[in-house]
Amino acid sequence: MRILLVEDYLPLQKSLAKGLREADFAVDAAGDGQEGLWYATSNDYDVIILDIMLPKIDGLTILKKIRENGKNNQVLLLTAKDTVEDKIKGLDFGADDYLVKPFAFNELLARIRALTRRKYEQKSPDIIINDLRIDTNSHRVWRGNTEIILTSREYMLLEYLARRKEQVVSRMDIWEHVYEFNSDASSNVVDVYIGYLRRKLDKDTHIPLLHTIRGQGYLLGIQQ
Amino acid sequence: MTNSLKARLIYGMILSTAILLITFDLIIYHTIRTVLFNQFDTGLESAANIMSASVEFDENEVDFEFNSDSVPEFTGKKTNTYYELRQSNGELIKKSSSLGNDNLIWINSASPKVFKTFKMKNHRYRAIVINFVPKKEKNQTTNPPALNLTVARSVRNLLSHLEFLKYLLIFTTAGIIFITCVIASIVVTKGIKPLSAFAAQINNIRDDNLKTRIGGEILPQEIEPIKKQLNNLLERLEISFERERVFNANVAHELRTPIAGIKSIIDVSLTRERDAKEYRDALLEGLNIVNDMDSMISKLLMIAKIESGQMKPNIESVNIAELVEKCWKPFSDKAISSGIIFENNLDKTLAWNTDQACLSIIFSNLLNNAAEYTNNSGRIWVTSQNTDNGIEIFFENTGNHLTQEQIQTIFDYYSRGDKARSNTGLHSGLGLALTKRIIELMSGSIKADTPNGLFRIRVFLRAI
Repeated sequence: MRILLVEDYLPLQKSLAKGLREADFAVDAAGDGQEGLWYATSNDYDVIILDIMLPKIDGLTILKKIRENGKNNQVLLLTAKDTVEDKIKGLDFGADDYLVKPFAFNELLARIRALTRRKYEQKSPDIIINDLRIDTNSHRVWRGNTEIILTSREYMLLEYLARRKEQVVSRMDIWEHVYEFNSDASSNVVDVYIGYLRRKLDKDTHIPLLHTIRGQGYLLGIQQ
Repeated sequence: MTNSLKARLIYGMILSTAILLITFDLIIYHTIRTVLFNQFDTGLESAANIMSASVEFDENEVDFEFNSDSVPEFTGKKTNTYYELRQSNGELIKKSSSLGNDNLIWINSASPKVFKTFKMKNHRYRAIVINFVPKKEKNQTTNPPALNLTVARSVRNLLSHLEFLKYLLIFTTAGIIFITCVIASIVVTKGIKPLSAFAAQINNIRDDNLKTRIGGEILPQEIEPIKKQLNNLLERLEISFERERVFNANVAHELRTPIAGIKSIIDVSLTRERDAKEYRDALLEGLNIVNDMDSMISKLLMIAKIESGQMKPNIESVNIAELVEKCWKPFSDKAISSGIIFENNLDKTLAWNTDQACLSIIFSNLLNNAAEYTNNSGRIWVTSQNTDNGIEIFFENTGNHLTQEQIQTIFDYYSRGDKARSNTGLHSGLGLALTKRIIELMSGSIKADTPNGLFRIRVFLRAI
């Protein structure tokens, strides 16, 4: 899952970005409103974490422009403004969630997971495809009774495909949701990681779940 | 005396009424007493004159032809009038038979008539003593002797009338005072009712409803100015409380962001096992935030000290040019790396009586801002000029990012060029607010303007 973090307080921005990356999210970070708006309108993020008081363009203006552009990102306002009026204003501007500083990092992670589930219209933290089970809270994966150990990147790739199970997902979509803007990986890295993932998922089984749809992309599920 | 206005008014009304009534009573009583005694004395004098006319001197003897027995006033059981006729030496010639063995007073006076009140037989009497010479018969060659006639009459009735009048006046006065108490209480209570309502309105004002204004009822004319002044005071209080509320909210807000930073650094560090370097980096990052917070809190404390009058300037002779140079030093490397030119154009010998520590904070804040906001390859310069009562020091630079509206509030708490900007750790929005208060502590002033697109701060230091 790919996250945009717009926060001007650099120590907070750095620590959050680090923590989110370690929690298997692809993170783009912006330090002011102008940069944040550019990132938000140029890419397709699953979740945008937005501070309200930002230099150049404030968070609520960014939020308004995101919604005006028809973007369906899940937006979490992360701010020191704690009054009921502030919260109502933020949510009425189109935010999906509101978290007041200071906050527990684990709470932020839980809210991001909830927002991600909401975006992909899923209620349960477990994604089940045939005998494949993905626990999106603990980031653990099983095929039948066998746990499959994945690297961070492999898990990110699998979770995104699983969120869009039974759908053909283009290479570009995968790239947009699994890799950060400043990633120096080449475009064929997606194919490489698909290969790694397929070897781990479909090993020792007669029912392959990860399929290549020629000229279109990839599909996780039972191919009809 | 009580502090209650109501009690004061009631006491005042009662006391005034009592004094007026008692004075009136005394005048009435004494006037009536005088009139009654005068009438009494006139009666006595008439009686004495008639009696004296009855005395003749014939054949060298005093002949008193007045027959008192035929006048019931001098005889009988209800006798209340007596007389005595004496020689001028006091020798008794004749007296009322009803006196028996008693005698009236005898006054040896040269005056033709004397009035005297005296006590006899447990009663009070009033007497007139007249000195006269009786008529002499035509054939009488010897001159008649001077005689002394005393006529006394009981004043019992008169005194009892006066006594009645006295008690009548006392009880009437007491009654009027009592009625006055009741009326005064009703009138004053009714009269100060708007004041009580006024006080109740004031009493209902708390720090959470300072928007309330006094009024609504038709207040007496005398209270209108007080109402106006109180409403003005309430308005000032409301502004002051609102400013304090905003200030507290700002402080809370500005502290939340760095606390969120520290919390996030610790939370993220604890999500997994890390090597020593990562922990060390996290601790250093946290320490930097703590140092920024410490700086902000120090500024807040210094402002609080100045505003509560706990900080006093320590005046000494300070070389201004040297101090500017010293304060610029921490920012010079960063400025040089941005291509910023700094010019200290102050007279090297310029010395001023001021507080060096305070001035150092002022210069550091101004130069820090200048270094931060001057455009790359821009210029910062410091100049001065003497005025009639002090010196002006100008800090100018080519990096003006502020609008006129922002310039107006530049010295307010948490004022920043970018309204949406939260505390970045570098600029808390307190530096210029602190600078202004320090300068004012030293009886100086500070102004900001943007002449010809430049940003200029003018610091005025008053001569001490």
